[in-house]
Amino acid sequence: MQFVGPAIGFGLVTASILALAAVGFTMQFGVTNILNLAYGEVMAASGFAALIAVGKGLSIWEAMAVAAVFGAVLSFVLNRAVYVPFIRRGTRLFGMVIVTVAVGLIIENTILATAGPNFFSYSLAQESSYSVGPLILTTSQIVIMGIAVACMAAIHGVLRYTKLGMAMRATATDTTLARSCGIRTERIVDAAWLISGAMCGIAGVTLFINTTSFTASTANSFLVVIVAAAILGGVGQPYGAMLGALVIGLTSEIAAAFIDPSYKNVVAFVILVVVLLLRPQGILADITSQREVVA
Amino acid sequence: MSTAMQFYVSTLLVYTGVWLLGAWGLNLQFGTAGLLSFAFIVFQAVGAYTAAVLALGPQTDNGGFQHYIGGYDLPFPLPLLGAIVVGAAFAIPIGLVALRRLRSDYQAVALLVISIIATNVATNEPRLFNGATGIALVPKPLASWLGVDLITYQWIYVGLVVVVCLLAYFVVHRITHSPLGRAMRAMRDNEYAAASLAKNVIVLRILAFMIGGALGAASGAILVLFIGTWAPSSWFYPETFVFLAAIIIGGTNNSLGIFVGVLLVPIGFAESTRFLPSIGHPGLIDALQWIAIGFLFLIFLWFRPQGILPERKHRYSSEGKLLTVMQLVSRRLPIRSKVKGQAT
Amino acid sequence: MSAVAEEEARVSTEPILRVRGIVRDFGGVMAVAGADFDLNEGAITGLIGPNGAGKSTLVNIIAGAIRPRSGSITFRGADVTAQPPHLIAHRGIVRTFQMSSEFGKLTVLENLLVAVPGQEGESFWGAMRGRRFWEKEEAALVSQARVLLERFSMTAKEEEYAGNLSGGQRRLVEIMRGLMAKPKLLLLDEPLAGVNPSLAQEILGYLGALRDEGLTMLMVEHDLNAVERICDPVIVMAQGKVLAQGTFAQLRKQQEVLDAYFIG
Repeated sequence: MQFVGPAIGFGLVTASILALAAVGFTMQFGVTNILNLAYGEVMAASGFAALIAVGKGLSIWEAMAVAAVFGAVLSFVLNRAVYVPFIRRGTRLFGMVIVTVAVGLIIENTILATAGPNFFSYSLAQESSYSVGPLILTTSQIVIMGIAVACMAAIHGVLRYTKLGMAMRATATDTTLARSCGIRTERIVDAAWLISGAMCGIAGVTLFINTTSFTASTANSFLVVIVAAAILGGVGQPYGAMLGALVIGLTSEIAAAFIDPSYKNVVAFVILVVVLLLRPQGILADITSQREVVA
Repeated sequence: MSTAMQFYVSTLLVYTGVWLLGAWGLNLQFGTAGLLSFAFIVFQAVGAYTAAVLALGPQTDNGGFQHYIGGYDLPFPLPLLGAIVVGAAFAIPIGLVALRRLRSDYQAVALLVISIIATNVATNEPRLFNGATGIALVPKPLASWLGVDLITYQWIYVGLVVVVCLLAYFVVHRITHSPLGRAMRAMRDNEYAAASLAKNVIVLRILAFMIGGALGAASGAILVLFIGTWAPSSWFYPETFVFLAAIIIGGTNNSLGIFVGVLLVPIGFAESTRFLPSIGHPGLIDALQWIAIGFLFLIFLWFRPQGILPERKHRYSSEGKLLTVMQLVSRRLPIRSKVKGQAT
Repeated sequence: MSAVAEEEARVSTEPILRVRGIVRDFGGVMAVAGADFDLNEGAITGLIGPNGAGKSTLVNIIAGAIRPRSGSITFRGADVTAQPPHLIAHRGIVRTFQMSSEFGKLTVLENLLVAVPGQEGESFWGAMRGRRFWEKEEAALVSQARVLLERFSMTAKEEEYAGNLSGGQRRLVEIMRGLMAKPKLLLLDEPLAGVNPSLAQEILGYLGALRDEGLTMLMVEHDLNAVERICDPVIVMAQGKVLAQGTFAQLRKQQEVLDAYFIG
């Protein structure tokens, strides 16, 4: 039983990283209605951007800020250069999935081609662990959890208390109605990609810190877990994504402790398939949302 | 032709057949029936593993260094037939997942995840198919019974592949250019409307998955019986997109177009880089190929979503008979024309 | 009376469709709050009412696209409540859609051909037996379809992809498709929506002729002139319930009906 403590600890860290990624993913999905399967690769690209920054002498936390900016800009550019034109000419939903997969393939393999198939690391100094109750955590892990909480609070603040946040919520609920209320939906869409891209960048770096060593494809394997958390919590619902992240983060780590570490991700995958089969609108589904899930 | 050249050409022809079978199978699911079969590669894997464990002897053979289920030492053509049956059967659980009335991109993701779960299970459960290492030493069909030299065997195998492809073409052709194919295409275009016209969309969908799945499994079986090995690394989820690329680039719903697509993408890419010196780090060429595939997708989806050889329009004679391609040519009718504003 | 005559008498006096107590809500919003009515054979019954009255929901429920929470629907004596769409279509209840739902990548002729139920070439073994097996039936269906195309003046568009047609032409394809399906009851969901006036008059002419040939129809429409021209009787719905039934002339005088259109 003594490994439950550390498992919960790992679970909370995973949940933190997952929350950062899933909230970014779901906010973008909510506003734009595009299921962006290139998200994992943007995380990876941002993580590698941070690697370059660290190589140039920045601290890991400064590099994380670089990654946030990189992720935001890359996501913004991809939307404007690729996704919007395809949507404008009437590409249907699953066509967009193929487009995002293609973009993802290009990004991941560009990283692979330039950086090589090796394992990389931020080479952070060895840290001491602290016992927090039954949990055992390193400094980085505690900081990651802190960053996640701070970002969640910031997102909450933006959504609830700023005009931008309200406009985003309106656009996510009903784009046509929002537009006819005078909301400049293209600007909101841009903002959504920027914010989600920033979260994506931060999530990428925290993921790479936590896995210690990483390759070009590490983040992509994580994508399905992110989608699972987002869909579990209800697409377009940032609070749902946080909840989904917590559930999946904890269950997969605890399950891994009891069953088999290599099946850790499979737990998330199975949850995703089950949710899609039984309740695709997620836990915190909003009746008023235009998010049509059932064909 | 020199021996080495013969070896190369015959191998190439076998690979072309393997890709063609799979692409026709995926096209039946995706192009004709409109199913977003993003787990298609699993059908090929099911076929390959089934054929392998049917053809292999018990796992204690060869020093017992591999673990796998089955091992019945069955002679050809049983492993191939078994693979086809299992592939078709596998369509039923896949079809049930896709049956849930989800919006199209969710369905796509659900099937993609199934593909990932499948590779995960195969990798992490070594007792099934020897885990990540995969299965090796699958015996070549009838090799010892025929007792011919290597080159002759290669050409015999090419003959086998041609026969299987002809059979597959026959089945695909009969289905797509019949009222059944028309019903599937109607389901693809508007499922609700098709159902309200008394088309049993559930049966149509399962049928498309089963036949497409059988073709995918045949593709996997032919491949594994030729090269003798199969591992999870052969069928990670992106491989479905290579088949998809062949279809979209070559021409959805056009058997000849798909042949062209197969020659261009999987065969073309693999062969054009074969004779390049090994530049850069290992995997660089692979990565560049994937980048090229990604760009090809975007370019074709943008400029020519119907592919190089688009779907043939069905026209009827004045007596009410469906015109074949030959008849269209002899009457100088256009074989195809664009659908306005067509995008995927 | 002989058995045949008895059957014919029963058929002509009993309503072809009975709707009793249908209730359906969506997340707390009551779309249909207890609808009761009968449809008589050989008539075009109009279904009118303000927006949100539940007309389209009701059509969807009859067609099997949506399940009611409670209530029953009987078609020619058989219970068809909550059956899936393709079984309902098998019984002869065919519907058209409010938004054009033609099969865009099929030709106009194929759109018509695919609507016919029970084709020999549509089963797996039927298809595998090859064209010699099904081409005779197919040729007969092609003739039927071409007759329809002629009647609706769409012969020139036979080989056009349905997705390339104009809105009005697609509307015609929708109706022709419904006819090819050999309906015993045709549900028309706003067939004239977005159609220009002269085409609308043509369509009404066709529908009237079909009624004269014995086809039963239920037509949801907002265009009250159209309803007045060919519908008899007319059912008025408001707020999920049937408000009134009668001829158009009768209803126009009823106060509740006028109120519903202002308030509902």
